[in-house]
Amino acid sequence: MTSNTTTGPLEAVGAAALSDRLAEVWIEFEERLAHVPILRRLADGAVTLDDYTRLLFNLRQQVVDGSPWISRAASSFDIDHFELRAAAIRHAEEEHRDYLMIERDYVAIGGSLDDLRRGRKNIGSEALSGYMFHYADQPNPVGLLGAMFIIEGLGARRAAGWAARFQEVLGLADSQVHFMKYHQDADAEHTGNLEAILTSGMIDDAAADEIVRCAQVVARLYALQLEELDR
Amino acid sequence: MGTTATAYLTGFGRYLPGDPVDNHGIAARLGGDDAVTERIRRRVLESNGIRQRHYALDEHGEPTELNEELAVKALHAALDDRGIAASDLRMLACATTMGDVLVPGFASMVHGRLGGGPMQLLSASGVCASSLAALDAAVSKIRLGDHPRAAVVGSELPSRSLRQRRFDGFRAGMDAHFLRWMLSDGAGAVVVEFQPHPVKPSLRVDWVRHVSLAHEHEVCMRAGMSGAEPIVGGTWQDVDIADAEASGMFVLRQDVGMLDELADAGIRQFEELVDIGLVDVRHLDHVICHYSTNVFRDVAFEALRRRIPTLDTDRWFSNLETRGNTGAASIFIALEEAWRTGRFTPGETVLLAVPESGRFSFAFAHLTVVAPPTGVAPPDQQGAST
Repeated sequence: MTSNTTTGPLEAVGAAALSDRLAEVWIEFEERLAHVPILRRLADGAVTLDDYTRLLFNLRQQVVDGSPWISRAASSFDIDHFELRAAAIRHAEEEHRDYLMIERDYVAIGGSLDDLRRGRKNIGSEALSGYMFHYADQPNPVGLLGAMFIIEGLGARRAAGWAARFQEVLGLADSQVHFMKYHQDADAEHTGNLEAILTSGMIDDAAADEIVRCAQVVARLYALQLEELDR
Repeated sequence: MGTTATAYLTGFGRYLPGDPVDNHGIAARLGGDDAVTERIRRRVLESNGIRQRHYALDEHGEPTELNEELAVKALHAALDDRGIAASDLRMLACATTMGDVLVPGFASMVHGRLGGGPMQLLSASGVCASSLAALDAAVSKIRLGDHPRAAVVGSELPSRSLRQRRFDGFRAGMDAHFLRWMLSDGAGAVVVEFQPHPVKPSLRVDWVRHVSLAHEHEVCMRAGMSGAEPIVGGTWQDVDIADAEASGMFVLRQDVGMLDELADAGIRQFEELVDIGLVDVRHLDHVICHYSTNVFRDVAFEALRRRIPTLDTDRWFSNLETRGNTGAASIFIALEEAWRTGRFTPGETVLLAVPESGRFSFAFAHLTVVAPPTGVAPPDQQGAST
């Protein structure tokens, strides 16, 4: 954050263009999500307890890796990207217990903690996690802001709606949907922080391209994770 | 406010030890075959209307089982009915008037014998209404979403303390005889879950209510003290055990003179349920009421009919006459039989009512029969856990 005092008209335009480009990625992502079988059943009210159980099981296997790849990204930012490093460290700290919420929800609906902890990632989660770790290893992986945009956006914009719908259809108590409910507030805060970074003027055109590309890949792989439940 | 889950009763079980004992078989097990006792027994049996009961005693009056064994057998029956195992339970709530031992709690002993995995326990003590206190606790935890699956059991084994040896050496009054020829052994259990049974009807628990009026009533049913008031230094734990026994402190007694007052108070509690709208008399289809004797059946039935003119005997269920008065177990033993014999159809409502004479407690539960969910996943996806 060395040039924020000299944010000029050009950078402002760049930032606006980046948010437009990300909005486009988001729209495409939402369209794809609408076709994911479990989310379609959720929307239709045909979702079963088994669906919710499987969703938690599958998410947990990837969420345990969430904080590690953010930490790895933090260590890949050099001192010129101090603000991003600091943000990543904070974020990793905030998220590294999230999987425990999934585990509590899973047990609260009758799942076995041992089974859950013995589980493996599905095909989509493998791809997503592999990509994130690979990307986080690159020097100054600014593009990961695009990954954040997708993952945190999902939490902030969709998770609470999913939680409410699962509760409505399956008659679940709040303490059985902790993970999804929590993310509405937590991720809204994170996306606020992300907005601040994206509009801070520290993102140049090359970085913007990286961010958009990374958002596209993560959107596709996240949807794949939801499509490939248990596979 | 937060959203809660719904609690459903999805499995029902009971265990009644040994063969049914008719009125002629009582003396062989409990003793008391002198002329005076004989006469009192006949009189008590005539008024309570019980024709058959079960004792965990052999034909010579020797114990055949522990109370915790009765509880575990009823639990197994309920788990089998639901098609799940003890390892699927996360909570066990047990109600009994007296466990087999003083320490530890009854639920600990039942869990130890039942097995399964780690689970929350509750030992609800008291008398008959402890059954619904235990149910309330389990239902509340299910509704909070803290546990997916719980079991509740009411279990009693009073027969061993009703045998002659407890009555030797002192002159038992009507307060002791009344219970001696009324109480018997058995256990009843239910499985409580946050989802209805996948393929069979379930009973949704709409509410459970438990009210004590001990603040305005003296003790009605007691053991372990010499009068209606406990005295410092004078309870069974203070005096010599031999003295306590000799003075009949270990005999279960009921002040029969207070029972009319108990019935009136119970009816007022029911009236209040109607007045505050918890019971909608136009939509109440079945009543399962625990009562100790047929005298109170008629009193309670007439009182309910004052508010529910359409209530007829078809909608009123009790198995007191054939299963006996099993205290905290009785409401579950009655519910199990009503359920198993197909008295209920989806959409109907059921009121459970349990007055407790101990020191005036009244418990009620309102249930609705729900059909299994339609259009859900195939049975192989409905396992207890994935």
